[in-house]
Amino acid sequence: MAGLINERVKPVGDSPRGTYDARVVQNVRICTDHYRLTLGLGRFPASTPGQFVQIECRGAEGGGSGGGGGNSEFRIQNSELATEYRAIEWGPGLSRPALHDPDFLKATAYLRRPFSIAARRENGGAVEIDIIHRVVGRGTHWMETLERGQEVSVIGPLGKGFRIPEQLELALLVGGGVGIPPMIYLAEAVHRAGKRAVAFVGAQRKDLVPLTISPCSPAASGEGEPVLNATEFADYGFPTVVSTDDGSMGTKGFVTGALRKFIEKLKSNSEFRIQNSELAGVVVYCCGPTPMMKATAKVCAELGVVCQVSLEQPMACGMGTCQSCVVKWRGLDAERLAEGEWKYKLTCTDGPVFDSRELAW
Amino acid sequence: MNSTQIKSEVATPSLAVRIGKMRLANPLMTASGTCGYANEYGDFADLTQFGAFVTKAISKTPRKGNESYRIVETRAGMLNAIGLANIGLEAFLRDKLPLLEKMHVPVIVNVPGWSIEDYVDVAAELDQQAIVQGIELNVSCPNVKNGMSFGTDPVRLHELVAAVKKRVQRCELIVKLSPNVSDVAVTARAAVEAGATCLSLVNTFTAMAVDIEKQRPVLANGTGGLSGPAIKPIAVFMTHRVYTEVAKKHGIPIIGMGGIQTWQDAVEFLLAGATGLAVGTALFIDPNIPNQIAAGLRAYLGRKNLVDINQLIGALQPAQPAA
Ligand SMILES: Cc1cc2nc3c(=O)[nH]c(=O)nc-3n(C[C@H](O)[C@H](O)[C@H](O)COP(=O)(O)OP(=O)(O)OC[C@H]3O[C@@H](n4cnc5c(N)ncnc54)[C@H](O)[C@@H]3O)c2cc1C
Ligand SMILES: Cc1cc2nc3c(=O)[nH]c(=O)nc-3n(C[C@H](O)[C@H](O)[C@H](O)COP(=O)(O)O)c2cc1C
Ligand code: FES
Repeated sequence: MAGLINERVKPVGDSPRGTYDARVVQNVRICTDHYRLTLGLGRFPASTPGQFVQIECRGAEGGGSGGGGGNSEFRIQNSELATEYRAIEWGPGLSRPALHDPDFLKATAYLRRPFSIAARRENGGAVEIDIIHRVVGRGTHWMETLERGQEVSVIGPLGKGFRIPEQLELALLVGGGVGIPPMIYLAEAVHRAGKRAVAFVGAQRKDLVPLTISPCSPAASGEGEPVLNATEFADYGFPTVVSTDDGSMGTKGFVTGALRKFIEKLKSNSEFRIQNSELAGVVVYCCGPTPMMKATAKVCAELGVVCQVSLEQPMACGMGTCQSCVVKWRGLDAERLAEGEWKYKLTCTDGPVFDSRELAW
Repeated sequence: MNSTQIKSEVATPSLAVRIGKMRLANPLMTASGTCGYANEYGDFADLTQFGAFVTKAISKTPRKGNESYRIVETRAGMLNAIGLANIGLEAFLRDKLPLLEKMHVPVIVNVPGWSIEDYVDVAAELDQQAIVQGIELNVSCPNVKNGMSFGTDPVRLHELVAAVKKRVQRCELIVKLSPNVSDVAVTARAAVEAGATCLSLVNTFTAMAVDIEKQRPVLANGTGGLSGPAIKPIAVFMTHRVYTEVAKKHGIPIIGMGGIQTWQDAVEFLLAGATGLAVGTALFIDPNIPNQIAAGLRAYLGRKNLVDINQLIGALQPAQPAA
């Protein structure tokens, strides 16, 4: 099959990816800056968590404003979060333009924008996919204005997703900021595979956690960490540990701190009763800002746990042609390059998911 | 777009063009570096319908290319500083040529270089490959140190093209002109006098984007090449200038490019004097755009009661004051 895909010179019925016209089913504001956009597609090839789509962030006419779409239709789910924050305070190392610059808002996104698939539902051949995105610039601002019924061009599914190994016992889903969405889709797959998971989510502030948090107690505990009930994970019986930079929700601090404590406990007297105390059945899945993924990979390396990371690199094509999305790679096991050597791999087609040990980042 | 309703067509107008000995079913081709090596877009577009396929730059030995960030979007376009990352000639011949053969369209290979020998060695080897019908010399890539020199200096350009010409017997020898010159007709003339059988233009414009928070260039390379709709009007002008000053009188075809995204853009380039039309950055948004443009061109010809696309090439009328 792989051979056939490599030799394809035109799309055929069973192409594993393609360009599709989707219709907006729903566009819901879920916290200060995040929206859940549900797209309906007549047909969409099989996809796996960690894969992404490229969305053309402008109307059919090429206009930037989305045709007079206001926020009128959008349900703000949590009234406590309804306060209008328009300026985003970026954390250290992040520098993004302020959203209130009118010129900035009017500019049209030219290239497509990549977004992880956050959920997928089938109904009788038709497919619905969810995109959870944070409004940070031209493209996402246009997406914010989308209304039910509007057409959106989607290329996908792209890239190689997360791998769920046979011996998996416990998946630790570590998502930071806009890295949380793929973890929701992954939770479903882990559940379907009959495995267990705990979600660790990190955000700057309470109002930037793009999850539906409810107070009821979760099905399982977080090894002494305060657990919250995020519907997105609790639906599968998975508890959620939240860390915020300012402590406004969950624990104050970085998600890696909570993760380290959790794994250390797993090794000794865990309620999770991992069969192999060497943690061979534990896999950490991570997506978020690069510094967070590096820190997570470091924790995992120190504690001897396998870590799959989903990288975000600037992408022009997403289809493996422009060579823009490179990451330094040194291979693993039989593919390991000589000490000190590395080569570039493409995030869009070789990734975005890599085993953290493969990377020379 | 909406005002141009297609009237009933008598006969389907012909889109076939010739670029030297190459016969293209339609003028539309890919622009080097925006379409991979072969069939990367196979799931998104019917590549067998393209007029021709132009590969990523292939150098003598593999190249890693520049550090990240390699691209940044700008108004109506983007900057790239890929640094000619590619798998090298050997891997290309072994792994990619067999795939290109399956497309059944004329294949043009883009060749970069840092010395005359670099170009000559790769071009001579490609000339031996039956599947390859054209060799496009990338003398204008502004990204790599000194990559600028051949494309901006008519004397060195003449020397380079003449040297390559000696070793290329079978393939069309296409010289891809740099727009980073004050008069593109000067370098165009040098290339043609040295034996180029076709000219392609334009490559990207050297440009820069600044991250105002970090107060540094966005791209790791500092500068990058600007492409996309932002450059189209300049590219149309340059195509027209080269056509009228050089190509027309020497009977040399032009492959026009720079921001082509719609059939209307394509018509502008044809009227300005282009025979071939390469689509670059727009492929990132939709790899099937060349086929859509071909359909649009067919409808336009029908509406203008033209039977052959060659009737459009260089057919631009003189400018006139508004009525
Ligand atoms: C594989 C992949 C999956 C992604 N999944 C999601 C997702 O599920 N949800 C989501 O909200 N976002 C996701 N992103 C990020 C998303 O693509 C960007 O937020 C989006 O492209 C921004 O577009 P814009 O036009 O709104 O902003 P722009 O106007 O393009 O940019 C605004 C600012 O954000 C910066 N920026 C843009 N993209 C990135 C990036 N990838 N990393 C760091 N800084 C960036 C720019 O430099 C600029 O300063 C993903 C990215 C990748 C590569
Ligand atoms: C990402 C990228 C990579 C490119 N690589 C090459 C290359 O390897 N060789 C070359 O001759 N031109 C290269 N180009 C230039 C294009 O072939 C083309 O000349 C230019 O982009 C203008 O056309 P466009 O506006 O349609 O993209 C590249 C352009 C882009 C955007
Ligand atoms: S985004 Fe173009 S090669 Fe990865």
